[in-house]
Formats: sequence, C-alpha cells, structure tokens
Amino acid sequence: MLAKRIQPMVFQARRLYVELMFQVMGRALQAVSEVDSAVQSEAVALPKGFLFEMMVMPAGSKLIVEHIGNGRFHYHGDKAPRPIDLSIQFKHIAHAFLVLSFQEKTSVAFANDRMLVDGDISYAVRMTRVLNRLEAFILPKLVAKRAVKEYPASLHLPEKLISAARIYLKVATNFVETARAS
Amino acid sequence: MTNQYYEFFCPVKVIAGKAALEHIPYELTGLAAKRPMIVTDKGVRAAGLLEPVVAACEESGLEIVTIYDDVPPDSSTSVVRDIAGIYRSEKCDSIIAVGGGSAIDTAKAVNILVSEGGDDIAKYSGAGVIKHPLKPFLVVPTTAGTGSEVTSVAVITDTKKSVKLPFTSSFLLPNAAVIDPRMTLTLPPHITAATAMDAMTHATEAFTCMAKNPLSDAYATSAIKKISHSLLKVMDNPKDADGRLELAQASTMAGIAFSNSMVGLVHALGHATGAICHLPHGLCMSLYLPYVLEYNLEHIRGPLGELLLYLDGPEVYAATPANRRAEASISALRKLRDELHKRCKLPRTLKETGSVTEDQLDTIAEMALDDGSIMFNPKEVLLEDAKAVLKRAWA
Repeated sequence: MLAKRIQPMVFQARRLYVELMFQVMGRALQAVSEVDSAVQSEAVALPKGFLFEMMVMPAGSKLIVEHIGNGRFHYHGDKAPRPIDLSIQFKHIAHAFLVLSFQEKTSVAFANDRMLVDGDISYAVRMTRVLNRLEAFILPKLVAKRAVKEYPASLHLPEKLISAARIYLKVATNFVETARAS
Repeated sequence: MTNQYYEFFCPVKVIAGKAALEHIPYELTGLAAKRPMIVTDKGVRAAGLLEPVVAACEESGLEIVTIYDDVPPDSSTSVVRDIAGIYRSEKCDSIIAVGGGSAIDTAKAVNILVSEGGDDIAKYSGAGVIKHPLKPFLVVPTTAGTGSEVTSVAVITDTKKSVKLPFTSSFLLPNAAVIDPRMTLTLPPHITAATAMDAMTHATEAFTCMAKNPLSDAYATSAIKKISHSLLKVMDNPKDADGRLELAQASTMAGIAFSNSMVGLVHALGHATGAICHLPHGLCMSLYLPYVLEYNLEHIRGPLGELLLYLDGPEVYAATPANRRAEASISALRKLRDELHKRCKLPRTLKETGSVTEDQLDTIAEMALDDGSIMFNPKEVLLEDAKAVLKRAWA
C-alpha cells in the first residue's frame, strides 16, 4: 500500500534526476571540449555544425550539443536549432536512470539494447569516447569505473583534479548565466 | 537481483538439408507469392547453381518470372534501383536471393524499394526507418560464412557520395533461409576456408563479446563445434555433402548468434582492412581472430576457455587444466589456420596476403576505432592498442 503511494514520487524523482543529469552533462560536454585536448581531437573529426542529441524516448528529457568547430561543443539545452545529425535514444527513462546513476556502463547499455542510435554509427562511437573521457574526469575514480568500460590508465590524480575543477567551474558558471538570462 | 538483460530475435524459418530447394515453391505459395524474381550474380550462374533452384520451382509449376544475375561484389544504389525497376516492370511479387553476402544484401535493399516505393534507396538508410513488413523474400546462400540470411542488416554503396549506406530493420529478414548442400558443393577450397573462418569468427566473437546471452551462446557453441568437426574434412573431400551441410548450418547458426550478440575488435579491424586494402571479409576474420583473442584474453578467459570443448573436443578439454583452457582455445584456432594454410594457402598474417603494406597499418587502426563493432569488444581499445594488434598480425 505504502509502496503504491510512494511510487509516483519515485517516478517523479527519477525523471527530475535524469533531467538534471542531462543538463549537467550537456554543460560538462561544452566545458570538457574547452579544457581537454584529447576530447578536442576526437570532436574535431565531426562536421562543423554537427548536432548531437541524447534523449529519452518517446519525448522525454534531452540534451543537445553542437560541434561549433575546432573540437569545441556548444550546449543548446533541449532545443535544437536544426534537425539532429546523431541521436542516442534511451528506450525508457528507467534505462536512462540506470546509466546516469552509474548502475550500468554506457557500453553495457549499448550491448543490452537499452539505447538506439539514429545517425552515423562511427560518430556515435566517437561521441561515446568523448562521454567516457568526460565521465573519467568529473566522477570520482570509484564511480567512474562503474560508468566507463575501462578507466584510462594515463589519467593521473593531479590532471584529473585540475581538469575536473575547471569543468565544474564552467558548468556552474553556465548554470548561473542560464538562470540570469531566464 | 541480477543485472543481466538481453534481447534475442530470429523469426527466419530455416529450411535445411537434402532437397531443401524443393521446398521453395511450397514456401512461396504459403506467402501468396506467384511471380518470384531471382537476384543473383554471374559467378553463381556460371557455377550452375541456378539450375537446381529454377528446376525445383518449375517442377512444381512455379514460374520464375525474371532472373537478375549481374549483382557486383560491392553492390550500389544504382544496381538496387535497376533491379527494382525490372521487378516492377515484370510485375513480380516476391524475391529469391541466390548467392553470397552481396547478392543477399542487394535483394534486401531491392525488397525495401519495391515494398516501400520510390527509386531512392538512400532515404531508407539507417535504423528503424522501415515500419512495415516487406514483400515475400527467400534466401538461398551459396557460401557458408556471412550469415546474411539471418541478419537484419544490409549495406549498399552510394557510388555518387562514395559512402556505404547501412539499412537496419527486422523487416529485412527473409521469410525463409533455404540451406541446401548442393549450393556449396562447388565452392573452391580457399573460399570454403575463408567463409568458414568468417562463420567461426562470428561465433567466437558472439560468445566472447559484451552482448553475449544464453540463447546466442547456444547457437555460437554449436556453430563452432560443427566448423571444427567438418571444415578440414570438407577441405580434404570437397564433395562431402554432409560436411558441406554442416558448414552451411554452422554459418547460419553463427549468423543467428552474432546478430543477437554483436561482434567486436576482429570485425572492426576486418571492416577497416577490407575498406582500405580490399581483402575479402572472411580472410580478414581469419587473419585477426587469434591476435584479437590474445588482446582480449584477460577479459574473456572464462568463456574462451569454455570454447575449447567445442574447438578440440571433450578429451582435450578434460585433459587441459582449467586455467590453461583459454590459451589452448587460441592454440586450437592457430592450428586450424595452419592446416588451412597447408591445404589452400589461406594467409595467416597480413604480410602473407601480399595485399597490405606495413605503412597502411596506422590508417587501418584509425578507421577501426570508429567502427561500430568496437563498442561491443569486451576490452577498451585505444589507438595504440589497435596498432599493437595489427603489428602482431603483420608477420
């Protein structure tokens, strides 16, 4: 009985969590592309103006970033200025929650068919590497190990801390700017 | 609670064995099809493989309305458009693909156009674009390797834009795959070897990569057992119809396995090598398989060790200590490659192919890193890792 009463609240909390994580990840993608040369060299292969989306099917939360050139991303929130070039779609919010709460690695989620790729698969592979790199930076090592296939051996603590601080600072600044603008 | 989750889907009716071709008329009639078109290539016609198919249909009063026999090895959007035009002008109502990967992929793409309408196959490219069942479609494989008869994917080259267009939909799957040993009896030894190693790789990667699941495991292990048991026998006696049927069934089973559990680094490297050096796909699979298994070893020790039972039989499996079985599986595959090299000079290293230069390895590694298969490899692959595997496979 109690579980039935709580269930709507749990669903609402899960939806809010996924929405918040998308907002953080979108901003963090923009930030990491300004901070990390490895991410830049991955992103630079994408066409300029390339729009990447991660969303929950059928019309749930989403994040949209654009490659604005030179390996830099720009976060567009959940509104795309043009048709999307590559979309990674979670089949259900429960699957998005599994990945975004680091209970299931992104690669495992792909293997488990939790997500669909609509667009060029080679760009999807590239964006997955960028997401892995981002997670390795911004998450504590123990959590990051649950999120990525393999924690990068070359990423040492000083680099991780400095980069993470810069990314979080940029994310926070972006949140404040968005709040001021609205 | 376990975190395990998987999906498995294969609605293709498999019609396999002696006189399987003679079931085609019944199957088509059951699908209300009366005017089939055959899509094939010149090699299949020259090998005399069309005659038994046509004869089986005519004997049952089913007329083959038209035969398109000019599918190139790397099929294109213009070929698909042309065949669709013939299908419409001849008022066909079903398709029979007779051939290897290219003929089957082409027929899948033709089926999209003639079912969905239009002349531009490119607009149906991608995943999940096709929303309706297509026309009745049967596949008669003439090689034992690709497994295309049970996969929901087709790849067609857009010659104008010089890109390969992927098409993915469960509606691409044929209504039936007809596996008749007569269709592979005349395969030359080097193609028999390379295609069988393609199937072996499908099954091995299906069993060791990230999306493995209990159902695909069953198909994969059975395929490996059949190939290990029959391949060398068929190489020594190409007219061994039972052995040929075993290989053909193994290919289909490996196809069912990998289309439900995906493949890994062997395929990523193989796709890149095929694109850059124009080597046959099966040969690329055979080349890279042991080197990639060595690279993945510590991540796949358990399942790879299990495969020893199917690769080398119960006596060897029982006599090998559990902690040495994974290495023994790799050795069994190496031994099989050596035997194939002895019998038909199937290359074991990139250098032995004579078609790859050492300075191409970096480009192959870079291209492989963007291949979709790499996502399902159990071990993360960085550029340096891919280069290292290629270096080992060089000589």
